[in-house]
Formats: sequence, structure tokens, C-alpha cells
Amino acid sequence: MKQLIGAALTAGALLSGAQTFAADCGKVVIGEMNWASGEFLARLDGLIMSEGYQCDVEYLTAGTMPQITSMTEKGTPDIASELWANAAVVVIDAAIAENRLVKLNPGPISGAGEGWMMSAAAAKAHPELKTIDDVIARPDLFPHPEDPSKGGLHTCPSGWGCQLATNNLFRAFDMEAKGWRLVETGSGAGLDGSIAKASERGENWIGYYWAPTTFASKYDLQLVDFNSGFDKEHWDNCIVLPVEDCDAPKRSRWTASEVVSLAQTDFTKRAPEAASYVENRVFSPALLKKYLVYMDSNQASGEEAAVEFLLNEESTWSKWVSKEAAELIKKAL
Amino acid sequence: MDWLTEFPELGRRDLRDFRKGIDQGFKEFTRSYGENIELFFEPLLHFLIWLEKLLLATPWPLFIAIVALVAWLASRSIKIVVGSAISLFLIGFLGMWEDTMSTVSIIIVCTLLCIGLGLPIGILMSRSDRAQGIVTPILDVMQTIPSFVYLIPVVMLLGIGKVPGLISVIIYAIPPMIRLTNLGIRLVDKEVLEAADAFGASPWQKLTQVQIPLALPNIFAGVNQTIMMSLAMVVIASMIGVTGLGQPVLKAISNQYLAMGLFNGLAIVALAIIFDRISQSYGKRLQSYRGGQGE
Repeated sequence: MKQLIGAALTAGALLSGAQTFAADCGKVVIGEMNWASGEFLARLDGLIMSEGYQCDVEYLTAGTMPQITSMTEKGTPDIASELWANAAVVVIDAAIAENRLVKLNPGPISGAGEGWMMSAAAAKAHPELKTIDDVIARPDLFPHPEDPSKGGLHTCPSGWGCQLATNNLFRAFDMEAKGWRLVETGSGAGLDGSIAKASERGENWIGYYWAPTTFASKYDLQLVDFNSGFDKEHWDNCIVLPVEDCDAPKRSRWTASEVVSLAQTDFTKRAPEAASYVENRVFSPALLKKYLVYMDSNQASGEEAAVEFLLNEESTWSKWVSKEAAELIKKAL
Repeated sequence: MDWLTEFPELGRRDLRDFRKGIDQGFKEFTRSYGENIELFFEPLLHFLIWLEKLLLATPWPLFIAIVALVAWLASRSIKIVVGSAISLFLIGFLGMWEDTMSTVSIIIVCTLLCIGLGLPIGILMSRSDRAQGIVTPILDVMQTIPSFVYLIPVVMLLGIGKVPGLISVIIYAIPPMIRLTNLGIRLVDKEVLEAADAFGASPWQKLTQVQIPLALPNIFAGVNQTIMMSLAMVVIASMIGVTGLGQPVLKAISNQYLAMGLFNGLAIVALAIIFDRISQSYGKRLQSYRGGQGE
């Protein structure tokens, strides 16, 4: 019994201790995404906020839609470090209009986007393939696994939004008549597997993918230039609809992906300094790629990669944080 | 007392190196042998594509007629014949004919391969207790290991598409064929075998003319289970790019399209029932003579 009371007292002391310790910025819940770059960014934000700005950091791990729903409906997490906003533009814009959420950083990762990519081997062996038109003219370079006389474009897994866009663009570029067929990938694991297999063996591969991702970084996939304009009206009302609802798809480049750091308005008022760090935090594609590759080749967690980043890239992150915070972080390292 | 509460696990770094070592070893294996293994399976791929094209090119009334004929020959039951024809017609009417043909082609190839591989393995197991001791745990692994665990190496080796899909289906569907062949032969009466010995039958004659015929009902139950399990795997196989009824099911799941999922799911069920009734009633007819002669 005595021991129990003792334990309760210690726990209480610890809790109150944590509260006084975090008095500067209070409790911050960080929405951690369940993929490599999302994990890395969230953990980096967490480390910087807890060491540099004395926040009491917690993580909430989930996919994009649950994070957005929880942010708008429940007011938690306080910040989502890497949010792909295309998934729920309407909901997010409504919450921003009501001044509940704020886009702290409109582009934490420059060069993020999706589209058709080709394997590094293909890009290296055939530098003449500069735009989508050059690629489409050479179906023989990307043989379809089940019909080598045709070219094979790996489409997005069944049911993903990008499957509709890829299949409609396939029609828009009139690829069937030019000797191409779609390769069904079935699932995210199937798509990844086809890339891994082709890249490990130095084979040519072309299909849908997006960056920044471990796979795009590790295998150095090259985005194909779509060499087309963009008509939002046409994209929203035809390209992203099921094939039956899009009678005459026109060639178009891929819609721009909006990747943001989204925060509760309340958080920016409570912890303005931590919020200003988030505003400054912008990754160049090469820098992020380096740490995604680090995570993969060491099977490291986001936290380990974030520590590694803080240790090695001081010149970069010291520009994002205030002087005092930088000192505190350096001390903690 | 730390050693009691802390499990003596491998250090984090060692564990990581261990896992990385395995991954690296496998990658090197695929780099050096992947292409040859792919070449080895190429005839299978051609056969699969050929069969799918053949089924797709067959006029639909002819296909339904063939199924009805097979149903009649196997079961001699007008109910099964009419039921098969009607459900196939409904499948086509609801726009799932092409996907169904893809699925049927992969199920046919899978069943043939399972019989071709499973029967000899089952016979071997029934003749040697040591073989049974080795094969049984392997079958346990094949039936229980989550399919995505072996899909990763299969995809690395062979890419995505029909052949890796077929292999994953076979891994899951072949165990009942092997188990029931083994069981059926072991259940053959000792006295019958003694009688065969007394007539001076050679081991081969004993196997082909006594044991297998007497084990046929069990073997057919195995074939039937193999077909059922391969149909159940169709959705999983489509996750690595096998075309067929699994693709629309996956699409329906991730988009929450109720009707689409239901139609395609029911089409799989309908195929399963057709295959099941035909193979089961054939199995039953094989042992009908027993009713007349036995007890």
C-alpha cells in the first residue's frame, strides 16, 4: 500500500514537474503521418519544439484523412507537419475561413508532387526522353510484362484517386493507339514492388508515383515532363472522374500538389515562437531526399533521422529557429 | 533483477544489421538469378495469357454451353446444369464477363497445377512417414503465413502480374490437395492391400489400381477445397496486379462502392458454387458404386 501511494506521489510530482518545465509553450500535439517523410518531419518538429522551445510534445499518428477530421472536429492535433491538402480542400478551406485553422507554412517541401515517373536506369540510358511525347514515341523501351510487343504504363492501384487521372491521361495522350497498355498494379505494395524489382535490376520502368517518398528518393525516379498546360476546370470536371464520366479527356499536366504545415489558430497564439519556426522550415528536395535515403538504408525511425539531421545540418536548421532556441538545441545534442 | 523483466533481446544495432543483411542477401539473389527465374516461368505466363485470350475469344453462348455440358457429364443433375447457366448469364448481364473469364483462366491453371504437384507429393507422404514428418509443417506454414509476407519476395523476383499472383494462389491452395491425397491413401483398408499382395500385385499396380481408386473420394474433396481456396485468394492476388474479379473488389473497397463490391463479390461466390457443385457431385458419383456393392 505504502508503495502504491509512493508511486502515485512520484507520478504526480513528475506530472507537475513536466507542467512547470513546459510552461513556456505548453502541451503540443503533433500530427505524425504514417509514411517516411511525414514521420521524419513530425519528429523533427517535435525535437525542436521540445528542446528549443520547451514544449511538452505528444505525437498522434494517423493517415491524412483522419488527421484532417480530427483537426477540424476535435481541435487536436495542434499541428500537422506534412499535410497533403488536396485530399480535403473544401474542409480545410472552410476551417481556415472560420479562423480555426491556419496554413502556417504553404510549402514545407519544395518540389513535392505526383505524376508519371521513370526509373533512373531509363533516364540515364535514354537522355533523349525529355518530355512525355518522347516517351510515348518509344513503347519498345518499356515492354509490358504480359505483352512485350506493347509498352506498359504502370497505373495507380485500384481505387486510388490517381488511378482515374492516370487512366484518363492515358486516353488523353492517345497512348493505346501508339502501342501502349496499362499495367495493373493492384495495391500500393504492388506498385512499390514493381519499382523495386525494375530498379534493382536496372530495368526500364514507367508509371505513376509521387515525391517526396522513400522509393522516389532511393531509386532516384525521374518525373516525366508532361509538356502541357493545365486547365483546372477540365482537370476537376473530367480527368479525375471515372472514365465513363470523362468523354473527351485533353492532355494536361498533373495538378499541383499542395503540401502544407497546417496548425490550429489557437496554437499560433499560445506558442508564437514555435509557430514562427514552422513558418521558416522549408526543405529543398535534395536535402529531404538525403534523409529519406538515410532512413531507408539504416531502417531508421523518423526520430533517429531527425536526430541525425540536427547533428549534421546545423547551418540549415539554425536559420529556422531563434538564437536562444538554437543554443538550447545544441546543448541538448 | 533486471534480467527477469528485461528480455535478453538482440541489441538494436545488431538487430538492424541482421535484418539488413537478410534484405541485402535477398536483393543480391534477385539481381543475379531474378532474370533466370523469370525465364523459367515464362512458358507458364504464355500459357496463362493464351488461355485467357482463348476464353475471351470464345463466344459467350458457347462458353455457357460448355460449362452446362461439363456440369451434366459430371453431375447428371439438371438442377446444377440450369443453375450454372443462369448464374453465368447473370454475371455477363451485369457487365462482369471479361473479369470473370480472367479469373476462370487463372483458377483453371491453378487447379491443374495444384493437382499435378499435389498428387505426387501426397502419394509420397502416404508412403513414407519421414516425408510426412517433413512436409506437414511446411504445409502448416503455407496455410497460415500472412500472404503479404511472401508476396514481397515473389514480387521482387518476378515483378507484378499473373505469374507471381498464380504462385501466391498456389501456395495457399495446394495444402488441402496434398493433405487429403495423403489421408485418402492412408485410409485404404489394410486387408484390401493384403488381398492385392496375395494376388501378386506390384507396388505400382497396387498404387494405381487399388489405393488411388479407393482414395478418390478423398482426393476429390481435396480438389474441391483447392478450387475453393484459390477463388478465395483471387482478391489478394489482384493486389499484385492480377486482372480479374479481384480488381473491382479492391476498387470498391477503397471507394466504398457498395453495389460494385457486392456484384463482383457475388460473382466470385457464383463461380465458387458452380465449381464446387460440379466437382463434388462428380466425386460423389465416383463412389456411388459403393452403395451398391458395399456393406
